[in-house]
Amino acid sequence: MTYTISPLPHAKGRESVKSVMWGTVAALIPITIAAIYLFGLPAIKIIIATVVAAVVAEIVIYKAASQPITIDDGNAVLVGLMLALLMPPSVSENLWVPIIGAVFAIAVAKYIFGGTGTLVFHPALIGFAFLLAAWPTLMVATTPNLSSFSDILLETGAGRLVEASPVLVLLGGAIVLYKRYVDRRVAISATLLLVLLVLISGKGGQLPYILTGGYFLGLIFLAADPITSPVTKKGRLIYGVMLAVLILIQLHFGAYFTGMCFAVLMMNVFSPLIDRSTIPKPIGGK
Amino acid sequence: MKIATIKTPDKVTIPLQQHAGEVCNPVVGVGDIVSVGQLIGDGMSMIHSSVSGEVTAVSELPHPAGKDVLSVVIKTHDGEKKDFKPADLSASKMSRIIRDSGIVEPNGLPTVHKKVGIDTIIINGTNTGDLSSNAAIMLDHPSEIVYGLKALMKSVGAKKATIVIELDSEALRVMRAETVPDRNIKIVATPAYYPAGTENTLAKKFARKKVPRGSTPEDRGVIVSSIGAMKALYDAVHDGIPMITKTVTVAGAVRSPGNVRVELGTSIKDVIDKCGGCSGTPVKLVMDGAISGAAQYSDEVPVIKTTTGILVQTESDVNREPPAPCISCAWCVDECPVGLMPHLLYGYADSAQFDKCAELYIGDCVECGMCAYVCPSKLPLVQIIRYGKHGVAEMEREIVEVEA
Repeated sequence: MTYTISPLPHAKGRESVKSVMWGTVAALIPITIAAIYLFGLPAIKIIIATVVAAVVAEIVIYKAASQPITIDDGNAVLVGLMLALLMPPSVSENLWVPIIGAVFAIAVAKYIFGGTGTLVFHPALIGFAFLLAAWPTLMVATTPNLSSFSDILLETGAGRLVEASPVLVLLGGAIVLYKRYVDRRVAISATLLLVLLVLISGKGGQLPYILTGGYFLGLIFLAADPITSPVTKKGRLIYGVMLAVLILIQLHFGAYFTGMCFAVLMMNVFSPLIDRSTIPKPIGGK
Repeated sequence: MKIATIKTPDKVTIPLQQHAGEVCNPVVGVGDIVSVGQLIGDGMSMIHSSVSGEVTAVSELPHPAGKDVLSVVIKTHDGEKKDFKPADLSASKMSRIIRDSGIVEPNGLPTVHKKVGIDTIIINGTNTGDLSSNAAIMLDHPSEIVYGLKALMKSVGAKKATIVIELDSEALRVMRAETVPDRNIKIVATPAYYPAGTENTLAKKFARKKVPRGSTPEDRGVIVSSIGAMKALYDAVHDGIPMITKTVTVAGAVRSPGNVRVELGTSIKDVIDKCGGCSGTPVKLVMDGAISGAAQYSDEVPVIKTTTGILVQTESDVNREPPAPCISCAWCVDECPVGLMPHLLYGYADSAQFDKCAELYIGDCVECGMCAYVCPSKLPLVQIIRYGKHGVAEMEREIVEVEA
């Protein structure tokens, strides 16, 4: 009788990279449906085009580089879906725009930086920033302003797909936070501190502008993305705090949604530095 | 929960190394007739025969640690009555009894305490994962455990003792009832967490003593011991029986799983057979718990003093998923009981940057296996960290050689 030998542990953990990625995709399904409900055909067109472009780009690039194709881990779908949700519905008249964004996100932000796990910047945000810089006129979106309670459920003034319903983004956020698919420390510290800072800095009038789907997506799904946020316990708190402060500075100059996106990208740069300077001492260490 | 006893096997294989340290010297030879409790191995921690019978071999045989170790094979005599005479206890000192009884903790350290100035004893009564022997012993022998604990307190001069038990354990009520008259023995309920058996974390959590890196709880006046050792201590002090049996949890794909008391040296094959045999095809045999235990090459491997459980796994339990890249989810960082950065250690050890491993305190890793268990990328973290520890040791030796 021969027996299998392997190093410990001999128990299987419940989660895998696949379950993390696809779980995050699943958490974004409610807001995707709300976006389709609110914007109709343009939303469907944008979402399908962006996701397909991201998947095809990944297959082509990894095939050309003769590297294993890992479409089934869900990362390309997740990046495509996130990028699609950041688009204004008007972009459906020029569908090549989100397609280029998705290809850029996969080719530059993901492949060139070494693929899943070694990224510096969040690919969806890089794709968004690239499109914003290249075709600013096509990316123009109205800034939603939360004027009444019903806007939390369905924001009719939404400028981007993700802003269709703040409460549904929060619902997905609660799921990924509970399942630890995104970092709790980053998401919770950044969100709470940002609200607090806005209130005490006398910019309370701007609160309705940050309680939007776009902000919740940015703070929970994008900023707290495990790959691009720090890993040390202390570092993750510092990251959240610095992010909130950076966003507040952007708010001061009236940059609402784009300000948040660039604040997250800027913080991505600091992530390795924060990690390196907050290596913890083991238990009993001085 | 009752501990089952099984029929004495026809043959026992008793390794002469059942603790962390040197292999004991055999004091018996082939052909010798031995009786229960007779000394067969002399060393830092004594080893005794668990059966009466004839020594048929003294040779290198498979050991649970994965290597071959000098072992004494004893063929048991049929129908022989176990006649054990309690030793004369009055004159001998407690630490002497503990040493001569060969009591060993599950972590491999002999329960010998030479340190002075001990004031607290912590008994780890928690169970993790598939193991439940601690709870079983507490339910079956609560008064013996308290007796053993009091004996240990007296011998080292400890004033306080704490028994740590999980909140949802049945044993909590039993042990609370048992220790009502003793004001200096405290029962502490804790939520189930893993790994609960790390000495320094237990000392910090339950004795409020911060143990500096590189020292043991005993340096801060705390002894961390186990339920099994307390029962063995009772047997030694009260009845004069050395450590010759062990209660192990048999779990997984066996027909009647549960806790059984077996003679040391019984092969895991015999234990599984006595528990009704395997249900399904066994593909993996794991000793000492699913998360931090060791997979066994052979079912001839014997139960030793440090054995806590035997787990039989079938194909569906075995993880054969290839590792994916690390996604920096930091779950390993959150889980690490000693506060290390497992994924960084993995990366540095995997690329042979042992100096970086040393900077990140790789030596503090207790190899509990929790990082690799939660890892969504299924990285073999513990295996590579062990490799890194080896590399660091090698590197430090080279430095010494160069300087010399």
